[in-house]
Amino acid sequence: MSGTVAIDARSAFRQKSRWYENKKLDQYLCFWSVPVFYNLFGIVFVPLSWMMPPRAPGNSIAGKIAFMQSPNLLVASTILVLALGLAAVGNAVYMSQMRRMSVNPAFHFAFLAGAIAGAIVGCLFPMFCFGLGAFRHGYRPDVLAMLYDFGYLSFIGCLGCFFLNWSCLALAILLDKNNVLPKWLGYYTVWQSVTELFAATVWIAHDGPFAWNGLLAFWFDMVIYVPWQIIVYVCIYQAIKRQPEHELPNCQPVPQAIYA
Amino acid sequence: MTNTMGTVAAGVERRTSAGYLPGRPGIWFFIIGDLLIFGVYFVCYMVYRGQNHGLFLESQQHLNQQIGVVNTIILLTSSLLVALGTEAARTENNRDAFRLFGAALAVGALFPLLKLSEWIPEISAGLTPGKNMFFMFYYVMTGLHLIHVVLGLAIIGYVVDDLRSPKPSIRFAETGAMYWHMVDVLWLVLFAVFYLMR
Repeated sequence: MSGTVAIDARSAFRQKSRWYENKKLDQYLCFWSVPVFYNLFGIVFVPLSWMMPPRAPGNSIAGKIAFMQSPNLLVASTILVLALGLAAVGNAVYMSQMRRMSVNPAFHFAFLAGAIAGAIVGCLFPMFCFGLGAFRHGYRPDVLAMLYDFGYLSFIGCLGCFFLNWSCLALAILLDKNNVLPKWLGYYTVWQSVTELFAATVWIAHDGPFAWNGLLAFWFDMVIYVPWQIIVYVCIYQAIKRQPEHELPNCQPVPQAIYA
Repeated sequence: MTNTMGTVAAGVERRTSAGYLPGRPGIWFFIIGDLLIFGVYFVCYMVYRGQNHGLFLESQQHLNQQIGVVNTIILLTSSLLVALGTEAARTENNRDAFRLFGAALAVGALFPLLKLSEWIPEISAGLTPGKNMFFMFYYVMTGLHLIHVVLGLAIIGYVVDDLRSPKPSIRFAETGAMYWHMVDVLWLVLFAVFYLMR
């Protein structure tokens, strides 16, 4: 008798825990692409290509050429070309939670528009600029220097897009009556969006604290941005976990559905 | 039978007693963080000022101190009106609170106008952010502060609107007031550091 109960309990446990039957599997797949994306990008930008921390805007022509034609930049650009699409999935994760908020859909549409523009300008353009230097040899030094400036200014100076989408996220969180994400995160996101404005100075300053590798325009922004990026995804993960299953779109029964 | 004065007195006593945190809890997180962020900027300014003292001192002479003084008086007056309005809201004297917050909004709205009237001639005279490090600090920090002022005016506008409703939220009025006082404190430091310090 007890053996039968034990077998029934084990089979009930196995039935409950089939991972592919988890109704939030699609959200978790999208969510877990984010650490993969950021780790890949971390490897690409820092130890592999030395893109980060940014090279100096006032670098000599020889320094710029050495950077643009380094073998590390070649590997980094290859990874960027292959993995850039994950940015879309990472942004969709934000949007899936913004849709649950009580605010007008204009917020998440504006967020998406800002994220798309930001990914193109902030990631795709640098990829092209540095990729041209890495994959195509024979450009004149002044052309390579221009690509170097273009790449870094796109990467760090594309603040308008991100100011828009983080502001939309912040406002949506603060006005949301469903409390999908905590209010303090909304305030922190306001600071994050303001750091995008700090970065406007990179267009003017060639050195000092306001240059694209400067103390205030880059390093202080990183002090605010890096913890925020980790915290926001932790909060989104908690929100996905808390989301009641009956709210999930894939839990709605399809009336009179016919399956092939 | 409800004793209205007794209820108001009890409300005031609760709000002025120790342990009561005015405003919504999240606003304290925002205010303290904002002060820290500005604090970092002020420290960096002082460090770079120490390294380029002559340049910063000479550049300071070009700033319009008169407008700076008037802006300081504007923000202090507006803050006073907001503080009086908060007291009126706490004693559920909503008509006075509405008028005081409205007056604070009207006075505070002069600040961005005066700021623009200060910046436009300066920029026209070639004193742009790219001129030197002092002016970059000046425009970035006063620009950031101006954004806070505009946001604060919007918040006070919502408080004024809320005070017209039958049951206004006292915590919301306190939240708006605290944000405005933070904006005022930041300006006092900015004014002292950029306009007055020698």
